Amino acid sequence: MTPLTLDQPGPASREPVLKSSEFRKGREAGWRDLEDLVGRVEKRGVSALRPEELQRLPLLYRAALSSLSVARSIALDRNLLLYLENLSLRAFLVVYGPRTSLLDGCVLFFRRDLPRAVRAARWQLLLAVTTLAAGAVAGFMLTLADQAWFAAIIPAGYGEGRGPSSTRAELMDHEIFAPWPGAAASFGLFASYLFSHNTAIGVLTFGLGLAAGVPTLLLLVYQGLILGAFVALHYRRDLALDFLGWIAIHGVTELTAIALCGAGGFVIAGTILFPGRHSRLDSLALRGRMAAEIAVGAAAMFFVAAILEGGFRQLVQSTALRFAIGGLTAIAWSVYFVTTAKEAPR
Amino acid sequence: MTAAYEQASLFLEGASRNRREIVTPEGVPLPVEIATFGERATAFALDWFIQILATVLVYLFIIFAFFGSLGALGKNGGAVIVAILLLLAFLIRNVYFIHFELAWQGATPGKRAVGLRVIDRRGGPLLPTAVIARNLTREVEIFMPLGVLMSPASGSAVWENLSLAAWLLAFAFLPLFNRDRLRGGDLIAGTMVVVLPRRVLLGDLVERSARYHFTDRQLDAYGAFELQVLEELLRRPHAPDAERLRREVCDKISRKIGWRYPVPDADALSFLVDFYTAERAYLEREQLFGKPRTDKHHQRNPAAGEQSAKEK
Repeated sequence: MTPLTLDQPGPASREPVLKSSEFRKGREAGWRDLEDLVGRVEKRGVSALRPEELQRLPLLYRAALSSLSVARSIALDRNLLLYLENLSLRAFLVVYGPRTSLLDGCVLFFRRDLPRAVRAARWQLLLAVTTLAAGAVAGFMLTLADQAWFAAIIPAGYGEGRGPSSTRAELMDHEIFAPWPGAAASFGLFASYLFSHNTAIGVLTFGLGLAAGVPTLLLLVYQGLILGAFVALHYRRDLALDFLGWIAIHGVTELTAIALCGAGGFVIAGTILFPGRHSRLDSLALRGRMAAEIAVGAAAMFFVAAILEGGFRQLVQSTALRFAIGGLTAIAWSVYFVTTAKEAPR
Repeated sequence: MTAAYEQASLFLEGASRNRREIVTPEGVPLPVEIATFGERATAFALDWFIQILATVLVYLFIIFAFFGSLGALGKNGGAVIVAILLLLAFLIRNVYFIHFELAWQGATPGKRAVGLRVIDRRGGPLLPTAVIARNLTREVEIFMPLGVLMSPASGSAVWENLSLAAWLLAFAFLPLFNRDRLRGGDLIAGTMVVVLPRRVLLGDLVERSARYHFTDRQLDAYGAFELQVLEELLRRPHAPDAERLRREVCDKISRKIGWRYPVPDADALSFLVDFYTAERAYLEREQLFGKPRTDKHHQRNPAAGEQSAKEK
């Protein structure tokens, strides 16, 4: 590159010597080179470049940026300025673009981002769990006192025939210790579960955090109420322990996922209610990603819960074994969220 | 900093786009142009079409591959198939958006066709988490309520459908209600969508061997804005009425700077090129000395201001 000469003597208006023109002559080859590389990456991805070209790219990018800065102060050629701005932006997007493929991104997400996000949101998670538990206790007390509450709490169709009129034997045979229905039906159950009420509730719990968290709170209480009402129904028929075992096998995972969705919703609500030093938009951008990470993790947990419910629940016919599986999942999730990727800085 | 060429852009291209500035990690501010609602809707429609096409192709493949074995699923066969189809549609649509935005530096096929890019709002690198977040939010915004609305078996109340439709509309038109045209997913992921046209570097107009020469006082009549409008005129030598325009501009400049010799028609272009070169050399030199002139109304000092006022 030719050095920029700023101190040329002589009457410039008689024999025009344009610094911007000389400046352009010295650097144009570099810009064209960068334009070619960027164009190829835009078309076919980073893999279109040879190693030595990849090495050249950031150097050319920084040279273009410094050219732009100089051109802004010395050149009045509009086409040149617009071109350099455009080229710098395109090169910036290539140089600082995402470097991970879908697969690497997924691996990194589960090995690093998700547990960190969950740990960072532990107070919101505590709030969500407390709300869920409060709802469950309320639902239990209400239904225990008067079974009419069951019908008021559980939406029609959700109970699948279970209700105040069910007898102990019915609950035993058709629900808790119902025979395994076979692979196809299990899969149907798994799938219908996946797009069912609970997943939708989970996604809504998260998404409605945008409305300052009030719907999130209400939905969590409501989920708790439903659980409590079912427990009370079985408790009155002396089936509480068996029912808890039946729930635990997938419920540990599912309830954790719902609580996580709630925590994500609370994170979003927090950025809107208490933006702190930033504007609401900036604060949302800063912490919204964390909330989204938690919600994606919760979606993955719903998936696991669906496999457990569809595949294992009716296959395992002993309450003790069910508790064991539920306990194991609880331990596994805690270990995963508490210990993964603890040391390395982000 | 360079108000003159933005002024020129406004003058030459009519209404300017909504512009924002991002600062690269190197500390250089770069202007970006925000995509309009129409462009984003077009890109989304294209993407959706491609996606549906892909989904249908996969469905057809499955139907042909497993046609014989459907009966083996038994009485739950219908539910199983519906579940598989729903799951596949979900996977295809999310993998499609996330994969392309990661692999193509923030563009999907639809966005590339329209010339759009997803970027980080604060000028940082576009993180995979941001891409995942902005695309999964679309599920809550559009596809989930749409799925419930479309499902015939729901049998839900009218008010329920109405509120879902309101939800859909609110999110679909959210970009219209903020300055940066942000969708719900952009809000959460901290991204925005910009237009990225491809600009071409044209030749330098500067002429070395000048036939016409001008004095500093003559060149003082104009500023950077006029210079850049003249540049635009010279860059389009074959436009329909370029010749007439050149003649007019040539006469106007001659009057303004007090050029005493008539310029023949054939020489109008070279006169203008020489004037452009001299003017640019003069203005760039003045700018380097810390005396930038943005346009002809710029007042260097009170005395010169009076003088130019009299000349008019």
